[in-house]
Amino acid sequence: MRVLTHGSFDLSKDLLAAFEKDAGVKLEIIKAGDAGEMVNKLILTRANPIADVVFGIDNTLAPRAGAADILEPYTGPAAERKAVAELPKGLVPVDYGYVNLNIDKAWFAKKGLALPKSLADLSQPAYAKLLVVQNPATSSPGQAFMLATIAGLGEEGAFDWWKHMRGNGVKVVKGWSEAYYTEFSRNGGAYPIVVSYTSSPAAEVFYSKEKISESPTANLFLKGGVFRQIEGVALVKGGNPAAKEAAGRFIEFLRSAPAQEGLQTTMWVFPAEAGASRVEVIKQHAAEPSTFDELKAPLTEAQSKAWLQRWTKTVLK
Amino acid sequence: MVRLTSRSLVFLPLAFLVLMLVAPVVRLLVEGWGPGDLAGDAPLRWLALWQDDYLRWRVVWSFLQAAITCVLALLIGLPVAWVLARREFAGRALVLRLLMLPFVVPTLVAAMGVLALWGPRGWLGEPLAGMGWRLDETPWLLLYGNLFFNLCLVVRAGVDALEQVSAPRVAAARTLGATPWRAFWRVEWPAIAPWLASALCLVFLYCFSGFGLALILGGQRYATVEVEIYTLVAHELELGQAGVLAVWMLLLTGAVALGYAWLERRLAAPGRVTPLARQRPVGWRQWVAVWAAVGVLLLVCAAPLLAVLLQAGRALLLGSGAAVLMESATLSALWNTLRFSSMALALATGLGLSHALAVRAFDASNAFGGAALAWRAAAYLPFVVSPVTVAFGLLLLYPGWTASLALLVGAYALLAYPFVAKSLTAALDNLPASYAQAAATLGARPWRVLWRVTLPLVGGALRRGMAFAAATALGEFAVSLFLSRPEWTTLTTLIYQRLGRPGAANLDAALVLACLLMALALLAFTLIEGPARKHHNAHHA
Repeated sequence: MRVLTHGSFDLSKDLLAAFEKDAGVKLEIIKAGDAGEMVNKLILTRANPIADVVFGIDNTLAPRAGAADILEPYTGPAAERKAVAELPKGLVPVDYGYVNLNIDKAWFAKKGLALPKSLADLSQPAYAKLLVVQNPATSSPGQAFMLATIAGLGEEGAFDWWKHMRGNGVKVVKGWSEAYYTEFSRNGGAYPIVVSYTSSPAAEVFYSKEKISESPTANLFLKGGVFRQIEGVALVKGGNPAAKEAAGRFIEFLRSAPAQEGLQTTMWVFPAEAGASRVEVIKQHAAEPSTFDELKAPLTEAQSKAWLQRWTKTVLK
Repeated sequence: MVRLTSRSLVFLPLAFLVLMLVAPVVRLLVEGWGPGDLAGDAPLRWLALWQDDYLRWRVVWSFLQAAITCVLALLIGLPVAWVLARREFAGRALVLRLLMLPFVVPTLVAAMGVLALWGPRGWLGEPLAGMGWRLDETPWLLLYGNLFFNLCLVVRAGVDALEQVSAPRVAAARTLGATPWRAFWRVEWPAIAPWLASALCLVFLYCFSGFGLALILGGQRYATVEVEIYTLVAHELELGQAGVLAVWMLLLTGAVALGYAWLERRLAAPGRVTPLARQRPVGWRQWVAVWAAVGVLLLVCAAPLLAVLLQAGRALLLGSGAAVLMESATLSALWNTLRFSSMALALATGLGLSHALAVRAFDASNAFGGAALAWRAAAYLPFVVSPVTVAFGLLLLYPGWTASLALLVGAYALLAYPFVAKSLTAALDNLPASYAQAAATLGARPWRVLWRVTLPLVGGALRRGMAFAAATALGEFAVSLFLSRPEWTTLTTLIYQRLGRPGAANLDAALVLACLLMALALLAFTLIEGPARKHHNAHHA
């Protein structure tokens, strides 16, 4: 059975091996880069699909997948059970997380600069050249952050803000790892504020070489700067019929207790299964934001495209 | 009969080019101009490209960066070539041999080297950034990367061309009272200019349609059209726009490739001249010139590789780099790389041989003048169309073959075989027809002539072409990214995966793997090309 995922898919080998043994199938995990790239690849090859099941389509990409009609509805128990966060029909939610700003604590302490209290602050000269973001055209957290600004500030307000940010020296890079591991000051770059995930500070603690009790980075929850990203799994239309039953079992497996627990510290996301327990490091270092904005109307493919084009025009062109 | 047989050789590479290159590109364009159920918007019209500031900048910049690289490579490369061609000094042969190095370095390794030197955390880049000079988001990184690959090409072409300058003519000019400077401009320059022009055509082609360097070093502002096409297809699914851009790129590169083929044809001149004897440097000025030439080569062509080597060494000794060598993933990537490369090399050799022999057959019969030129230029098609465009076209055209070994190896061979074809074509151009004719007169059958006379005479060129083809296949990256399956991970895709993952341990692993890949490319090169020998052939790579 062929599973198409984005590059960040990560579950422990033991878990996957246990599933293979239970279900009596051999998993073939195909990683296809960024989530957006993955969906495009699926669309481009829909005449002869390259996978039987796809994991990692989120609420920003669901409209595109829907418009291209590449998914087949799954109606097993996992699809019927209520989840913490819901996705459009056809996609079974597996996990969710928040895209928001992360800061380098040491940098702000050293400079003695107060943290910005709003996105508007960030466009002031005092905060010039401090923020690195991902290009929403090439990165899913980048797109999520753009949508957050639109949800929080309104379309006009958001693009106005982006225009000011361009003048204030916002740095744009292709993808998340470039932003976080090259440009973020915590990792040797020059920008102490980065678009990342609510769980990133917890991951910093988890992966730290020395044992630390406090994360060197922190979440910055600002109005218009938080977006809830929900990831789901689905059957691929036109996949191998012989693999369909196993594909359904894989979907159920992703919503089972062991997988829902495991993904918290491999993919750094929150479990979508209602009542799933949180692991300790997530509990301690990844507090969920108390509020976040959601788009007024459901996102459509045309709308998403129009916003992307407007963003490119405002920030890059 | 001989010619008919050889001309029919054209069908093998022709069919291959049509199936693996032309058809996928056409398929991509059709997707772009079709009803557009994916694209949504009305397809971009031909000229609309030039009204869009952003896209126009991409095309103009692609053109500029290639042109600037040409100018820089000529300004820096010609004096260096002159010193290497005219001065005799210890280590000269080694320098000439090391000039081949950048040709076998995979793009990914070169880009890592440039970043290790000039990147925000590089050895030279970090102190510069401390002084307030950030080199990323400047054109410098990409131009430097371009120079790394192309300066050596110009220097080699220059040295070879300068060795073709007739000594008696220079001597005559000097006897008649010309200063060395004047003798250079009036005698040497006209003789070498066509060779340099042809080398610069290649430099332009490489820079204009290159992908890897521009992707990694261009950033948001200085990425080229190829990166834009990739972004439009892979990320934005704007096949219409990508198609229009691809067509404009094809037109521009096609023109350059045709110009190059024409120049190369004119250069084909059998027969040797009495070359100028090299002199040992006399006086401090000449020694300074020698040191400057070697210094420039070290700074541009050796420094990035040294930076990667040293960083990898540090990762091996002090960091966690050694662990990666023990991993089963590394072993299987190594095995895959070797497997795919040798299969691709076998296919590429067959194709290149057929291609070059067909060129010769076309040349031999005057009735096919245009066809001969077009067929010469056809060998550059795989350089003209970016691997990314081809890979996406292949995905669209042969969905049933997605992730099949045949398609992957075919795509590798497509990118590698021009090296064999080019090297052989140049060697055949310089081969007097009389040998083969003599053998034929003595009763040898065509295939026997080929096997016993022609091939042994061009054996060096064949091995050289194969060496470059092998290096290309080993370092191939873009195509592997699109057409591969997870269990087919090669060293390049493994490096790219490691680079994309968090943490110092992964960077260390990527550096060590990069060194392994480079060692492999060097090994293949040495095995195929054999020990150092005098290069008779002015044109390579």
